Amino acid sequence: MNTTASVAEAFPPPRRSWLPAGALQGATWLLVIALILGPFVPLLYASLRDRPLYEPGGVFTLDPYRELFGDAAFWHAWQNTLAFAALTTAIAVVFGAAFAILCARTDLPGRGAYSRLVLLPILLPSLGMVLGWVVIWGPGGYLTNFFSQRLHVGTLAIDTIPGMALVEGARLLPIAFLTCAAGLARTDSALEDAARSAGAPPLTVLRSVTIPMLRPALLNSATLIFTLAIAALGVPLLLGTSRNITFVSSYLYNLWTNASAPDPGSVSAGAMMLLVVATLLLLIRNRLLGAEARFVSVTGRVGRRELLGLRVWRWPLAACFAIYLVFTTVIPVLGLALMSVVTILTPLIAPWELFTWSNWQTLGDDVFRRSIENSALISVVGAVLATALVALATLVAHRSRFPLRRTLPVVLLYPRATPGIIIGIGFFWTFLVTGAIGDWFRGSIWGIMLAFCVRNLPFAYVVMYPTLARIGEELDRAGRAAGAGWWKTNRSIVLPLSRPALFASFVLMFVEILNDYDPAVFLVKPGTEVMGATMLSQFLQGMIGPVSALAMVQVAITVVVLAVGATIFKTRPLGGSDA
Amino acid sequence: MPEIQVERLVKTFGEQRALDQVSFAVEDGELFTLLGPSGCGKSTTLMSIAGFQQPDDGRISVGEETFFEADHRVSIPAERRNLGIVFQSYAVWPHMTVFENLAFPLKVRKLKRQHVRTRVLEVLDLVEMRDYEKRYPHQLSGGQQQRVALGRALVYSPAVLLLDEPFSNLDAKLRERARTWVKELQRTLGLTTIFVTHDQDEALSMSDRIVVMSAGAVQQIGTPEEVYRAPANRFVAEFVGRVNLVDGVVAAREGALLLVDVTASAKRLAVRAPEDTGIDGRVTLAFRPEAVTLMPAEDISANGTNTWEADVRAVAFLGDHYEYEINVGSQPLTVQSLWHVPGERIKVHIPPEACSIVAGAT
Repeated sequence: MNTTASVAEAFPPPRRSWLPAGALQGATWLLVIALILGPFVPLLYASLRDRPLYEPGGVFTLDPYRELFGDAAFWHAWQNTLAFAALTTAIAVVFGAAFAILCARTDLPGRGAYSRLVLLPILLPSLGMVLGWVVIWGPGGYLTNFFSQRLHVGTLAIDTIPGMALVEGARLLPIAFLTCAAGLARTDSALEDAARSAGAPPLTVLRSVTIPMLRPALLNSATLIFTLAIAALGVPLLLGTSRNITFVSSYLYNLWTNASAPDPGSVSAGAMMLLVVATLLLLIRNRLLGAEARFVSVTGRVGRRELLGLRVWRWPLAACFAIYLVFTTVIPVLGLALMSVVTILTPLIAPWELFTWSNWQTLGDDVFRRSIENSALISVVGAVLATALVALATLVAHRSRFPLRRTLPVVLLYPRATPGIIIGIGFFWTFLVTGAIGDWFRGSIWGIMLAFCVRNLPFAYVVMYPTLARIGEELDRAGRAAGAGWWKTNRSIVLPLSRPALFASFVLMFVEILNDYDPAVFLVKPGTEVMGATMLSQFLQGMIGPVSALAMVQVAITVVVLAVGATIFKTRPLGGSDA
Repeated sequence: MPEIQVERLVKTFGEQRALDQVSFAVEDGELFTLLGPSGCGKSTTLMSIAGFQQPDDGRISVGEETFFEADHRVSIPAERRNLGIVFQSYAVWPHMTVFENLAFPLKVRKLKRQHVRTRVLEVLDLVEMRDYEKRYPHQLSGGQQQRVALGRALVYSPAVLLLDEPFSNLDAKLRERARTWVKELQRTLGLTTIFVTHDQDEALSMSDRIVVMSAGAVQQIGTPEEVYRAPANRFVAEFVGRVNLVDGVVAAREGALLLVDVTASAKRLAVRAPEDTGIDGRVTLAFRPEAVTLMPAEDISANGTNTWEADVRAVAFLGDHYEYEINVGSQPLTVQSLWHVPGERIKVHIPPEACSIVAGAT
């Protein structure tokens, strides 16, 4: 308190930014809206023309819808799809919730490790995992044959609708698990303790307190899983073809690719119908939840929870859990590994007698090599761009006074429920009608990157938002009071503080873009192949060996990137989100 | 020069009126306190001045400059208001050192490196944190973080300093030291300061003037003495300090004294009241527990105006004084005494000038 004279020193006013905050916010908003909702406009347009957009002329017509709705096979595909989606949802939600309760509320041995391992199926490449199932459990699969020929017992045929539901259910189970685990973490276990003090035995507590409190999480994950199951493309293409079981997605895929006379109008009409269904489901889901419940932050009371004792059931249940993980995750991955180094996989001949490197050598060939290079490139670039865009959009949505900011979270989450094939078809038409720019995107891998990025933006957002919400608003208000504008404040204070979320978002986006495939099947051209699309087309041509090797490459890159991300950046993608 | 004018601020959140015609003026060099319970609108008022909240109506100006005027759609962004603000959480940026925290506002103003350095060190001296310039916030105590926050708010010589409950996160001992220190600093710098608190002790001990707010509206503006001794209404009397409230009916007037029949006991209380007030009928009177005198019942010298016998219900020893719960008739009172007065029955004297009329049908 000694010097006072110089304290009254006058300083120049803060330098204004050359870019007005409003312009930056407006541009971000516009870009997000254009990228996510833009492709639906040409899609709708294409579904209402009497000829494809690449042919000149054309007039308004409802014929594509009339043709599609008049096709009995289309309605049959819908029946299959709904039965499959309902079964998938039941399997994933029941087991996901059960695992979540076991891990969060009981003394199950190894529950910490289990709660990480159970997430693997959603992080591993989905197409590769389906391939693993086919190789092991499919008709003529290694263990299918082993069981029937050596042990003379049948296994569940996974090329039926219940079988496909099992495969897809196992893949989507982590979503139910994460949502329920987050729900359990949020609810105070004192509620359960109170019921036990009142004299209720553990199972009664489970039935009358724990499960009712989980109802929002169950409904939420069930709707999301149902939506994702409706749009599944890999499962019907890889498993349904042999018995001719068609889903809506594979019906549209076949209409687009296989038919001697492709019918883009009807495909667009079908895609519009899927979009409407998915959107309705999304609206239902939003209605079921409060807006904020969609995001789960893992803060809150961290007290030691009194665990429900399983007593004699401890080890049997732990063993069941382990068997589940082995059968659904470990064996398919091992099957892929084995398949990639043999000429044929059969229990009749020992695998080492059929050993070959030729599948891996094939990866050096044109299409395969290009796919790997392209995928790696678009994953890195796409993850950087998507993270940057979502970071900016999240700031606009939650840290600005931009008038339309409240629309952003809804739009950013929209692609999560949008079937990948719709995004693929949407971008196909978009590139077609946007002249030279569209041509450039269509002829290069960047068009596919764009579609993959848009498809996976919600992941970046659910990782980013909870972190941003935890950064106290007073921290950036202090920046504003100190004289920094909106962008300067966010660049110097908010973004550096959300660095862990930025890294997590990058890692997650990298993995998702690397493993995505269904938007690409409508966009690939010779020269722009990516791993997922190549696996699909090569598998349908019967190249199982090289495809398995390619899937192993995907698995390996995914595992390495996730592990490196987890150790170096101390980030855990999906750690605090409901996927 | 920086006289702050706040005129007719209105802000509604949905159905609820957060600010209802809030007006006051802060004079140059004054420490002006917004006092009230949580939800009374004091923080909304402060954030409106700082530019983090947009009132629906009204006007805010500092000196010649209009910060906000609803009628002319004027609203200067927070970063161009040149105000220093210390937040409740301090909001010291955790990824910057103490030095970097203070340097940030100067870098935004494009000062030369050397100039930044001398200025930051000067202000760190002022807030007695020079030795900690290289530390990160998590290596500092709450009190030290507060000094950094204050230094950061002062480093660019703001026109006005805003303090948003800056002491509420400090423990009791530290809080009293910080109060004295901040008050002294403010007086030395002669900095116009608006201070928000819900703590009446803080408000009374630090302020030049206080505005008491409740339910979004101004209840009273005055010096600490005025607010404490002559509360404008029942809310102010109850919120600032402890108070006895007594209902009664005006019976007569004797010069400067108003005679009030206390409803709950058959006693007549004489109250000093200006002659020109036309108060009549039912009134509520207020007086502070420490304003009364207690005497043993057998003290015959104690007689006359406002001296009554009372029954003792409970006595508590609080270190520097005794607190009595007593009944005069069926009127319960809380009173304080420096000395212990023995007995179940005692005498109590309420000086007429200690009573104020806080509510009445005029």
